[in-house]
Amino acid sequence: MMSFCVTLLDKQYYLMVEKKDGKTTVIEGVIEPISERPQPPNPTASCPIYRWNLQNKYNYTDVLLLRQFIRSDGGMLPRRITGLCAQEHTKIAICVQMAHRAGLLPDHKPPLPDGHVPKPKPNPPLNRYLTRYSVKSVRPIYKTGLKWCKKRMSVGHPALKNNVRYSPKPLYIKH
Amino acid sequence: MSSFSRSAQQWATFARSWLLIDARMQPPGKIASMCSVRLQGKHKPIYHPLSDIGDHVVVMNTRHIAFSGNKWEQKVYSSHTGYPGSFKQLTATQMHRKDPTAIIKLAVYGMLPKNLTRRTMMQRLHLFPDDVLPEDILKNLTEELPQPREIPRKLSEYTQEERDAFPMLWTP
Repeated sequence: MMSFCVTLLDKQYYLMVEKKDGKTTVIEGVIEPISERPQPPNPTASCPIYRWNLQNKYNYTDVLLLRQFIRSDGGMLPRRITGLCAQEHTKIAICVQMAHRAGLLPDHKPPLPDGHVPKPKPNPPLNRYLTRYSVKSVRPIYKTGLKWCKKRMSVGHPALKNNVRYSPKPLYIKH
Repeated sequence: MSSFSRSAQQWATFARSWLLIDARMQPPGKIASMCSVRLQGKHKPIYHPLSDIGDHVVVMNTRHIAFSGNKWEQKVYSSHTGYPGSFKQLTATQMHRKDPTAIIKLAVYGMLPKNLTRRTMMQRLHLFPDDVLPEDILKNLTEELPQPREIPRKLSEYTQEERDAFPMLWTP
């Protein structure tokens, strides 16, 4: 019993159902109307984020938004499939990276090879958020320098500097 | 409250209370600044630097602290005992593994005023790596302070209804 569906102009589901009775197979095409979906406030826009007016309003914590653009093993979907414009694609990729490092997407890990039992880690992973660089690539700052030439620790990402802020304090990237 | 007797009102203003802070998934700097404000007594209108009116602060779950950015790898705590060859530099991760309460302790120590009262205020700060608190401290606690940072929800913590209620931005 096999069935698959195809969207026809986003209006109907064209469900193909195969039935086997002994030696005869009957393939039936059933048209089912799609349940009403909420309409985007700006339908005439190429990028889905501009269609829903979410340009500067999302962050690494908006996991429900980010999970629509990632695969089950955590990787990003290509731009030609999602239809995102270049800048928003990079912003979403950065937010997805930060969400992975913060541990907000626990079910989107790459699949382990069969029969492989992960080694018991001696130390539990440390909690972090807004990590710009990967954990293994960063070096400790042994000499921070004087006030005029201080080596700062970067938090967050400059690509998200235009995000909407509801507090009077500016975005603090260099800690 | 004005309905209290004078002696009760006076006791309420000058008493030293015990405050509790949960540091799970919180940035240690924000926790430390909240602690230092309450250890000095700056949250009370009767504050004076000479009058010893700071409260006791109990911080639990210091093991589950969350640093923003890559500070776990980049932040370095240096110390020198004065003897030659004893300059030690530890990253925040190494410091935390050695002693889970050290990061908050050093942060609060640096935020308190640099005078002789600092040591007494540090004695009134009680740090616990997990949420297991000794009985005598549990009996003394009066108030729990709100956490400075809102903990973001993981995808697994959202119910299926919430996931369905969120509109699909694009169709495949």
